[in-house]
Amino acid sequence: MAEVVRRELVYILTAIVVIIMIVDFFFAVPAVSAVAGELRTWATIISTMALALGAVNIIRVHSRNVRRRTPGVWYHSAWLIFIFAFVMLLGMLDINNPASNPIYKWIFDYSYVSLGQTWYAITGFYIASAAYRAFRARNVDAALLLIAGIFVMLMNAPIGEVIWVQIPVIGRWFNDVGQVPAMRTFLIVAAFGLLAFGFRTLLGRERGFYGEVAGG
Amino acid sequence: MGYPTTIDGILGIWTALALMLFVYSYPLFKENQLFRFAEHFFIGLSLAIAAIISIQTTIRLAITPLMAGKIYYIIPILLGFMMYFILHRDYRWISRYPIAILVGSSIGLGMRGTIIPNILSQIIATITPPKAGAVALSWFNFVYIGIGTILAVMYFLLTFEHRGPLLYPTRLGRWIIMIGLGAYYGNTVLFRMAMLSGRAQFLLQVLGLVPF
Amino acid sequence: MSQETIWDRLQRIDRRVIYWLLFILLMIPFIRPLGLPVSISPQAISLVEGLRKLKEGDVVVVNISSGVSAWPECLPSLVAVSKVLIQQKAKIIYWTSFVDGHMTFEKIVEKVPGFRGLTYGVDYVHLGFYTGAEPTVAQLATNIRAIFTTDYKGTPIDQLPIMKGVNSAKDVKMVISSDTGDYCDYYIRQWRIPYGVPTAEIGIAMIFSQYQPYWPEIIFGMTGGARGGAELEKLIGELGDATVTMDAINTSHLLVIVAVILANIGYAATRRR
Repeated sequence: MAEVVRRELVYILTAIVVIIMIVDFFFAVPAVSAVAGELRTWATIISTMALALGAVNIIRVHSRNVRRRTPGVWYHSAWLIFIFAFVMLLGMLDINNPASNPIYKWIFDYSYVSLGQTWYAITGFYIASAAYRAFRARNVDAALLLIAGIFVMLMNAPIGEVIWVQIPVIGRWFNDVGQVPAMRTFLIVAAFGLLAFGFRTLLGRERGFYGEVAGG
Repeated sequence: MGYPTTIDGILGIWTALALMLFVYSYPLFKENQLFRFAEHFFIGLSLAIAAIISIQTTIRLAITPLMAGKIYYIIPILLGFMMYFILHRDYRWISRYPIAILVGSSIGLGMRGTIIPNILSQIIATITPPKAGAVALSWFNFVYIGIGTILAVMYFLLTFEHRGPLLYPTRLGRWIIMIGLGAYYGNTVLFRMAMLSGRAQFLLQVLGLVPF
Repeated sequence: MSQETIWDRLQRIDRRVIYWLLFILLMIPFIRPLGLPVSISPQAISLVEGLRKLKEGDVVVVNISSGVSAWPECLPSLVAVSKVLIQQKAKIIYWTSFVDGHMTFEKIVEKVPGFRGLTYGVDYVHLGFYTGAEPTVAQLATNIRAIFTTDYKGTPIDQLPIMKGVNSAKDVKMVISSDTGDYCDYYIRQWRIPYGVPTAEIGIAMIFSQYQPYWPEIIFGMTGGARGGAELEKLIGELGDATVTMDAINTSHLLVIVAVILANIGYAATRRR
């Protein structure tokens, strides 16, 4: 019985939801559309509530670090928990409009924005060193990749046109035509992959996303 | 927006700059405590903001309708809480029910939606020839895209080993894919550099070397 | 043992030298602008042409699926598109799938002078944050009120004049999506294909590659990153942040290209030996 509740019912529920979504699209049955709409709203609510899941998990891990006084780590973990608790407290003071709190807004405006952009941009350094260390024309495959990449880069930078007036023309060809077969292939292959994945899920053969491998 | 004139504004931009430099001290120098400080600060901050927005949106989306009489909204709210059992080894199976709804709806919507734009439209766009009177380059592009797409798709035929009659078509397909990835790489460099230039500009702005 | 050549030494150069060089080179154009012109792509032209077809009062959804972290890439296009939408006297509904999306909205309002003459809630609105990926986007297409009961400040949606008669994708004339991920895919699958809502993409530069096969049959226009933003700024005749960014792009791109060429010459030289 436990196995039925833990696994079989879940597979059946997933398959039912998949079928409702597909039927809703291809057949105009008002009752099915109503159920499909409600299920989509439920999915949104579940996703919204799950947003804080990452926070709970990470705070759990860092609390363990603090409790155990993990060398070289625990004070950073304590700092993380403090910031989390402090900002949460500020935000909860007016949950409808947290930014009405000037301290919350200040932290958001000057720390969050700056750090967000800084972290996102850090890969700029790595892509530059990767260009130097990894992009070698070792064979035809790598040479084609490099040629297309360099022309697109030179087209993207206005200076390309200054170097040679034909560079933007060639770069644009790579961007608008040259890459299309590959990108189109990715779309087609991914679409077939999604369909296959969907049918496997319908049949209860695809189970990785339930976390079965991880335990429970 | 000019250079800040208020105390909190000036303090703000210098704090922002300091945090940026803490982070970049890692690539520009080496791993250090200031970097770790900024890293953990950002994680704590991001988690708090995500949690606040999660609570705020849940109130608007689920609690308010529930209070207004939509009693059945208790079901998705309970399902939302069931997600948290994923953190408990013994009761993880409970979280499979909300996951079933999330995955089921995503897959169902994806399956029904992907056929037209990602398969049919792509095939139609590939086999539609240029209009009458088109220049030679348009015809070349048409042939390149048509044959290139077929060859690149063949490369993904993993059911058969790529040898014999499949050897050369799949090798050409791989070259086509490399051209595509090269162009993608070129655009990736643009993205990364534009992001980094934003940071370089911010540094100069705070130092007063360029206007805000 | 053979003697170490300059190519050998160049192969082993400390990565931090490249990082420093890159960061310094990025700063130079801000201090001494090069002012090189940006050519305009057909995708950007078709985007603006599509926007220009809008009539007064048409409702347009601007989906902000990019965060504050991507402002240098995404904000200029969002600003330029908002300017055109205001010129066309369209009603603009913003919503976001990023927790910090309200900041992007407020930044757009700050940067577009045209908003000063408009009334919030009547001419434009920000409905706030949503999550849930494709199911949510599909539900927005059938019933906006199932996802948004209030705007981002908590005002009930039915008290907002702009939302009167706007219930689903059928009431929306156009969707513009600014992405760092794949939300535009969801709008294509759940808005463009079932309801025929014209869709455009104005995300980061890599998005340009990803969505190129959709143009012009499925999405009517697109721009990629700061470059796309600069193209839009030039097209509407109001140069802005992206045009400045493109100046810095020149030096950084040159560095990357020189690095690739030097590395390959070095590789060829050492391999021959």
